[in-house]
Amino acid sequence: MAASLRHSTLFTTVCRQLNSTLWLNVGGRSIHSSAVCCKNRAARIRVGKGDRPVTYEQALHPHQIAHRKGWLSQHTSNLQGEDGAADRTVEDLFIRRLIYGTFHGCLADELVIKRRGNLLVICALMLQKLPPHKYYFLVGYTEELLSHFYKCPVKMEIQMLEEKSVYKYL
Amino acid sequence: MDDLRDPTERAYIQNYSIYFCVRPQKLYSLAQESGRTAAKYFINTYPKYFQKDFANPHIPCLMPETLELQVNEVSEAALIERIQLRKVKAAVDMYDQLLQAGTPVSLDLTNDLLDLISLYGDCDPARGDAPEQRTEEMVSLTLTSNNNAERIFNMMPERNRRSYGALIRGMVKHGAYSKAFNTYTDLLNNRLTGDVHIFNALISAAPEVREKYVEKWDLIVDLLKQMAEQKVKPTLLTFNAVLKALRRCGSLGRTQAFPVINEMKALGIATSAQGHTEILQDVLSEISGKSFTAQDPDDGIIKTQIHTFLLFTDSLCDIEQAYRVHSLLGVGENWKLLGDSYYQSIYYGRFFNLLCMMEHIDVVLKWYKELIPSLYYPNSQGMRDLLQALDTDNRLDLIPQIWKDIKRMGHDNKTELVEEMLSLMARENQIPEVQQSFADCALDVKALYTQTDRRVPLSWSAGSLSSITSILLAAERTQQAWEMLKLFKLANRVPESLMNQFLESVKASNNAQQAVELVQISASFCLSITPNLMERVQQEFDLTEEQRNTLSDLESSTAMSD
Repeated sequence: MAASLRHSTLFTTVCRQLNSTLWLNVGGRSIHSSAVCCKNRAARIRVGKGDRPVTYEQALHPHQIAHRKGWLSQHTSNLQGEDGAADRTVEDLFIRRLIYGTFHGCLADELVIKRRGNLLVICALMLQKLPPHKYYFLVGYTEELLSHFYKCPVKMEIQMLEEKSVYKYL
Repeated sequence: MDDLRDPTERAYIQNYSIYFCVRPQKLYSLAQESGRTAAKYFINTYPKYFQKDFANPHIPCLMPETLELQVNEVSEAALIERIQLRKVKAAVDMYDQLLQAGTPVSLDLTNDLLDLISLYGDCDPARGDAPEQRTEEMVSLTLTSNNNAERIFNMMPERNRRSYGALIRGMVKHGAYSKAFNTYTDLLNNRLTGDVHIFNALISAAPEVREKYVEKWDLIVDLLKQMAEQKVKPTLLTFNAVLKALRRCGSLGRTQAFPVINEMKALGIATSAQGHTEILQDVLSEISGKSFTAQDPDDGIIKTQIHTFLLFTDSLCDIEQAYRVHSLLGVGENWKLLGDSYYQSIYYGRFFNLLCMMEHIDVVLKWYKELIPSLYYPNSQGMRDLLQALDTDNRLDLIPQIWKDIKRMGHDNKTELVEEMLSLMARENQIPEVQQSFADCALDVKALYTQTDRRVPLSWSAGSLSSITSILLAAERTQQAWEMLKLFKLANRVPESLMNQFLESVKASNNAQQAVELVQISASFCLSITPNLMERVQQEFDLTEEQRNTLSDLESSTAMSD
């Protein structure tokens, strides 16, 4: 009982201290971290039994970017003296998730997002799962929604494929 | 942002190969529009997610529109806000509340309110981004709709010309024509003069309140005289209203249109080229080189009617006029006057028709490349015109290319078009390369006919079968030609005229067995030409004993059946 009382007072003093520090930190930001993914495992599909179809994009590992692969997201904020790289990355992630959900099951490969000046161009490869007028509806919807969200003109360029293009089986 | 978009912008998804016909194009652009409307609905319903402003400088059209009322207490500011947001019922309520509270409402504000009610006929306009509802209630509300407007009007302590104007225009818009004239008399009794908007409204209402053409015209003239007395200058809309009313006046209207147009010219009003067919020559010479803006909302429809009328008069075969009209489209903003895709297709259809009739094939082909498929998808009649033009100028060698286009445009299921094309190809023998290309084309067509998975299968006719066979024979593809004969049997058609051709080709290859087969086939079809064939075969070929026996058997059997 005494021990618990002591613990509880300790607890309350710790809480009070934490509260005060939190109170001091309330105008600032806190770190949000996700699970760790080491760089020797990121974006690599490991060789398996040989029955898993894999596209060119997935088959080549990240160290092949600029050798055998291009970039999925093209903007100028990574150049010397330019800023806004983090904002662009977050925007890209949002756009990819939005389109993955809007065109669910229809995407054949990763999106390619290009920024030319103010214009945001989303290039997508799609499978012929829906009738074409539904695609046009979704394209109009996404363009309008994203334009109003990001306050810049957004254009989608879509190419249709019969089926996913398999590069090899891993 | 909407008006500055590229006018020829069309939705374009690559590789989805079904978009080559007109109807899907329209369907797809409508689908895209409805997607945009759906997004606008979300944006305006949940504006808090779209408030963050990244753009520098600020882009106002990308911000959500405020559709909700902000000011809620009873005040003039609240009334102004409701009028701006076009909330008719709320505005009327606010006005009543203001009057009850004893606050005087200024004359201008009351006039604004009256304008609002007259424009929307006493019910709230449908939200721009909600699905369109064309309800019957709107129509039935017309006669009762002005109750609110009239009530407020009667309550007003002082009325000026603008108030009368709002009331009259509202009445005319919603169909209460005689009431409008009564209000106008009221206006005159109060010693006020009308303004140009009132007169425009009254002129457009004039045909409705009189029965005979003459009376209608007299009323209009009367109104115009009063306009002159009250020193109101007529504008473009006045003349448009007069001309529109004249259309309701039948033949009398036509004769009166001339002086009206001349007066327009005299007054130097920038014409919107609304006129009748007879005066088009003059109009054209006047308007060439000038750019129009569509000032009257009905302009687009009427202008496209003009286009069709013009091209109709060009069916008097005046290609020069057609070129002038077409060049007019390139001036300034005139393309907007061509209307939507339906009217565009009519215009280009007639234009192309005229071209095919009048111009040399090279010119036709040049226009063909220009117009198709970016501006115009010809229907099967258009393609037939093109084929005739090719025939006239002896360029039949281009037919295989045209066939590719026909297939792409989806006209390959039109039997008349296909048969005409085949008969053109089969008519004469051509130089060898052309003949080979014809043969390839013919085989392509044959493949189409024999496809079993078509929705509406093409049925063979004697004409198409014979054409294909003769093309194949002329190209010396004997094997395939023989296969065609089997098809004749299947389709229950008779190959009358082909036997001689077959005989010629068999003689060229000197194949006696085939010759005998030919005679047998001809006998099986009971063709009248069989005895003839038999004689020729017996004379011109070296036949074995067996073959001679077969032939003599056939001879006897046909002789017996005779």
